[in-house]
Amino acid sequence: MSDHAKPKKTPKPPKAHGWMAEYADDNQLLDAARKVKDSGYTRIDAFTPFAVHGIDEAIGIKPTALPWFTLCAGFAGLTVALTMEYWMNAVDYPYIISGKPYASWPAFIPVAFELTVLFSAFTTVFAMLGLNGLPRFSSPFFSNPKFDRTTDDRFFLWIGSSDKYFNSEKVQSLLTSTGALSVEEVREDDSPSDIPKPIIFAIIAGILVTLIPGAIVLNMRNAKSGESRLHVFFDMDFQPSRHTQTSTAMFADGRVQRPPVPGTVARGELGATDPYTLGYDPSQTVSTDSATAAAKLVSFQQDGEVAGDESKGAEASETPAVEPSETEPTDAEGVAAEEVTADPGAQPAADEAAPAAAAGVPNYAWLTELPVEANGELFELGRHKFEQHCALCHGYGGYGNGLVAQRAAELAQGYWLQPANLHDQAIEEQPVGRIYYTITHGKGKMGSYAASLTPEERWAVVAYVKALQRSQNAQPSDIPTRGDIAQ
Amino acid sequence: MAANIPNDNLTIPASWRGMAPVLIAVGAVCVLISLGLFYFTGSEAKPDVGFRVFFHSYLANFMFCLSFCLGALFFVLVTHLVRASWASSIRRLSELLAFTISWWALLFIPILAMVLFTNSQALYAWNGGPGSDLPMIVQNKLSYLNPGFFAIRTLVYFAIWGITARIYFLLSRKQDDTGDTEISLKLQRWAGPAIMLFALALNFAAFDWMMSTDAAWFSTIYGVYVFAAGLLSFFAVMIILCNMLQNSGRIEKLVTVEHYQDMSKFQHGFIVFWAYIAFSQFLLYWYGNIPEETLWYKVRMTNGWQYVGLLLIVFHFAVPFLGTMSRHVRRNRGVMAGWAGLILVAHWLDMMFLILPNAAPVTPMLVLGHLICWIGMVSIFLALFLLRAGETPVVATKDPWLPESLAYQVGP
Amino acid sequence: MASIASPAIDNTIDIPGRRTPLVLGNQTYASVTHMVARISEEAQPAIWWIAFAIAFPLMLMFGGLIGYLILTGVGVWGNMSPVFWGWPIVNFVFWVGIGHAGTLISAILFLFRQNWRTSINRAAEAMTIFAVICAGTFPGIHVGRAWLAFWLTPYPSLNLWMWPQFRSPLLWDVFAVGTYASVSLIFWYMGMIPDLASFRDRSKNKWRRMVYGLLCLGWSGSSRHWMRYEKAYVILSALATPLVLSVHTVVSFDFAVSQLPGWHTTIFPPYFVAGAIFSGFAMVLTLLIPVRAIYNLKDLITPRHLDNMCKIILATGSMVGLAYTTEFFMAWYSQNPYEFFTFWNRAFGPYWWAYWIMFSCNVITPQLFWFRVFRTNTVIMWVVTIFVNIGMWFERFVICCTSLSRDFLPSSWGYFSPTWVDIGMLVGSFGLFTTLFLLFCRFLPIIAISEIKWTISQHAHSEHRYKHGHEHH
Repeated sequence: MSDHAKPKKTPKPPKAHGWMAEYADDNQLLDAARKVKDSGYTRIDAFTPFAVHGIDEAIGIKPTALPWFTLCAGFAGLTVALTMEYWMNAVDYPYIISGKPYASWPAFIPVAFELTVLFSAFTTVFAMLGLNGLPRFSSPFFSNPKFDRTTDDRFFLWIGSSDKYFNSEKVQSLLTSTGALSVEEVREDDSPSDIPKPIIFAIIAGILVTLIPGAIVLNMRNAKSGESRLHVFFDMDFQPSRHTQTSTAMFADGRVQRPPVPGTVARGELGATDPYTLGYDPSQTVSTDSATAAAKLVSFQQDGEVAGDESKGAEASETPAVEPSETEPTDAEGVAAEEVTADPGAQPAADEAAPAAAAGVPNYAWLTELPVEANGELFELGRHKFEQHCALCHGYGGYGNGLVAQRAAELAQGYWLQPANLHDQAIEEQPVGRIYYTITHGKGKMGSYAASLTPEERWAVVAYVKALQRSQNAQPSDIPTRGDIAQ
Repeated sequence: MAANIPNDNLTIPASWRGMAPVLIAVGAVCVLISLGLFYFTGSEAKPDVGFRVFFHSYLANFMFCLSFCLGALFFVLVTHLVRASWASSIRRLSELLAFTISWWALLFIPILAMVLFTNSQALYAWNGGPGSDLPMIVQNKLSYLNPGFFAIRTLVYFAIWGITARIYFLLSRKQDDTGDTEISLKLQRWAGPAIMLFALALNFAAFDWMMSTDAAWFSTIYGVYVFAAGLLSFFAVMIILCNMLQNSGRIEKLVTVEHYQDMSKFQHGFIVFWAYIAFSQFLLYWYGNIPEETLWYKVRMTNGWQYVGLLLIVFHFAVPFLGTMSRHVRRNRGVMAGWAGLILVAHWLDMMFLILPNAAPVTPMLVLGHLICWIGMVSIFLALFLLRAGETPVVATKDPWLPESLAYQVGP
Repeated sequence: MASIASPAIDNTIDIPGRRTPLVLGNQTYASVTHMVARISEEAQPAIWWIAFAIAFPLMLMFGGLIGYLILTGVGVWGNMSPVFWGWPIVNFVFWVGIGHAGTLISAILFLFRQNWRTSINRAAEAMTIFAVICAGTFPGIHVGRAWLAFWLTPYPSLNLWMWPQFRSPLLWDVFAVGTYASVSLIFWYMGMIPDLASFRDRSKNKWRRMVYGLLCLGWSGSSRHWMRYEKAYVILSALATPLVLSVHTVVSFDFAVSQLPGWHTTIFPPYFVAGAIFSGFAMVLTLLIPVRAIYNLKDLITPRHLDNMCKIILATGSMVGLAYTTEFFMAWYSQNPYEFFTFWNRAFGPYWWAYWIMFSCNVITPQLFWFRVFRTNTVIMWVVTIFVNIGMWFERFVICCTSLSRDFLPSSWGYFSPTWVDIGMLVGSFGLFTTLFLLFCRFLPIIAISEIKWTISQHAHSEHRYKHGHEHH
């Protein structure tokens, strides 16, 4: 029995592996198995077409550790899922969705459950196969075609030759005495155990072929190419519309961007040339700069020119003219004041602000009176909008000490420009149209609020600013006398 | 066939039955104590709040016992329906539990009387009627939630359960004498329609009695939730009951370790099912975040109730789920009885969590009063059960499936 | 081989205390092996080829339509504001629902020790996998840019620098359906291993032997292997049971976590699960009634099996009916005007026809199964299951389309009309499903041979016990 020579090198018959007895049904098998086990054999196994209940005790099979594999995998799946969800949605890529917190544990449970099951199920099956030593394509039990009936209708009992009490004759007679249909010797499988070369070659070739797409992808990711990429799906990359700032043969002027159709007004631009919308009277330009600007504006209106001029003329006669000499110095002073308020250390910021000043502050015929009726409602709207949009920087009192300014001062960042103090002499003296213009177009670091505030709201803010200025610079004459109160 | 059936002592110990009057007395006293406790401690802020809390507590404890009786009735019906042979060892006990429903229904009379004869809003706000200052959303429901219709529905529910339980119990008793296998066929045939009626009644009873304590709130899954809780607590009660009977020398051979394993498996299954239903309801309302739906949870996540909710997650799901997973635990009846006891405590918390937050925040006094009320109600229930059972054999020995039930070995 | 005569005993009749045989015609272990294995060994009957000739072109058409859709865009479907979840999602939910019966039969019925499942579980599991393949196709192509569907997986992407959104039920769906498909597949395969070994050991042809030998992983039938195999089977069943519930639950979350009237209701999870089991069993019957006739398997798939499946259809159909009632009641009880309008609109609005098709097919037709005569007549049974399939498709249509077509804002109301591509894809998905099922019948063991043998052995034991008991009586 202890012949250790490899079967394939010796011409001798294959090594014995034990004896196998054949039975017709599961009851006979169970009886025989109990008998064999009682005789003291331990290297025994049964081969059956289905799971015979009771065989475990009959041949002494110990319970399997399989459930522990499942349990561990289940915990692993749960942990992996919860950690993954938390890290991905709350740490690495947090953003709010459906108003839910980043770490939305209730919402994480379904996926956590699924991964728990996924991990445990796959572990169970692969652990079962692993513990069973499957796949195994070569076995002594496959060598005799008679044993093929084990998957059909026969029950086999095997006593291994490695059993410590094994004695070939005794085993054979014991098995025969259990009422077996037949008793046969099992021999080791003597067919060559090497895998045939063509199969190895095919497997290697298969692995290599599967690596090709990955290699191509890797190569493409790391290499540069001048060619445009291959478009399997167009992804809206090619569209019939033209890019901006290019030319086209479709129109006589060759321009891609088209001017408005004559006689039309774009949405939201109705009255774009009114003093009400502009804050100044465009028909009464006072400097070259602003004349050019006004001319540009008018050129947009191309064919509506005449009509526009007429209406402007009519408005101009209604609106009181503003003396240029009055506005110009004020404006210059305003710019100067702004430059002074800037942090002296903020050189780049000052440089940035400089072009704006250099480009010339417009010198228009500013409106000096509100073009809307100043009443409580307007004032209330102005206060509301001021506190919403302006107070953040300029402060509720208008001293340029809003929360943002305070915060910036605290951080002491060099490029921060102090917001203007609305109670500066220069700003106090600005006509309403000028303030309106600043709100509309911004100034220095301050951006345009045209998108946030409608013209009416801007005028309301202007009214509120004027009132604010007045409130901070009250004169003794402003205090009502007894007579006033009596009234 | 009788030769196959082991000779066991099949009657509930006489000493237990002798305790029934004592239990009733103790029960009545405890319920009254809890009423007094609530009335005198709860009345500081509002005059009727003590009364309110008492009725909520009473209903919660009423449902505690009723839910596992309903679980028992369902178990009887469904095991007949699917010819589950393993259940025949323990079906008589379930029949007895279900048979107690018709007597237990008498304890609903205080609630019914309050609804019918007063306008008290102590339990149901809608009982104030159209004249009271109910929100519009509740006013519109009064065509359904009104005392008369409520009483009729209540009678119908109890009639469906009581009559079904009575038929199944009496026919099974008849089989004890005659051994007529036709009876099994008959019970099996009628189990289908009976289950349908049972399900309808349970679904709407859960809406009427429990969900309408918060008349504005609604959840379509509520009936399923109560069903899941009921079946879970039923298996826990059965494990404890079988264990106690075996400890006192009854049904020692007729209920085997295989039956414990099966009951424990079902208990485990329903732990998961309960968690599934509870989580589904919570997730959908949490995610939808619609005020009128989340209000119910809002109440249960404040005023100390959030800790009860956490206790439920831990002791109604996580701990027993992991604890009763193993085959070795399930086959040890002493250990399983301990786990079943934990399940019943959690079930008590669950019923409390469903009903009591509508009445008051958690206070030590509330828990104490509720506990005393629970002791009282359970004592009364036990007495009724013992009286109902009397000397009835606790296993149906002529059940044709009993030999198979005893021979069965649970697989791996 | 044993002549297959009409069953001598009617195994739908119950004898209390005695198990009716689950396999008829005095089968032996060998005859069972032969009866199943011959299907893949012999030439297929003409009807198989006819069915294949119909189904295969339909499958190709399905593939063609998917190509057309991808190259053209999802505009080829009828999905249009306000109904953006049209037929593709209806088809998805329909097929996922169908795919619930297989694992239910192999897992839940196994845990409940319903041994009759052994004759039908293999085919049902196969059906599950094919249905899930059909189901998975639809959301895959519904995402618009189907070639980027892999973005749904949480992989560290160098291009996107972002992760999937785990608070979205649609992503839960990816995990739920993905887990379900892969676990069902491995469960099915594991169940087939011993039967593939039977195929291997019967094969005369060397190649056939090698292929089945590889597929069965060298199964030898050792008791040690069987012990671990059985344990794995129990564990997988215990895992698959909540998994089955979770899949349609998550599908229901797709709808129910929204605030849309008719979708946002807490009963959706159990109600969807019941509906899925209902439709799944109907589809199992639709397939197995012809299969048992064509392949002469009436002794293995007996009237008893059909009778039991009819009862499950009746039970789940009634559960679905209870859910419809509860929903309708709660729509009124909630006093939410939108909710109530939606339900009123379902029953009496422009889609009334769909609602009443759904209601009559799902709730009323299964009630026929209260009567034994309908549970034993295969023709009527087959017709009823077809109706149930239709009804369940319409249930998903009603849920998807009525709620979306009329929501809170009357100005955005609309009416959904499918295009020819929608219809072609629904038909084509049936082609894919049928083709896969026909190939399965052709090549794999369509009945769990080893498990049937086990029930034969069990029946012998229980008969022995029964007779033994009566001798003493």
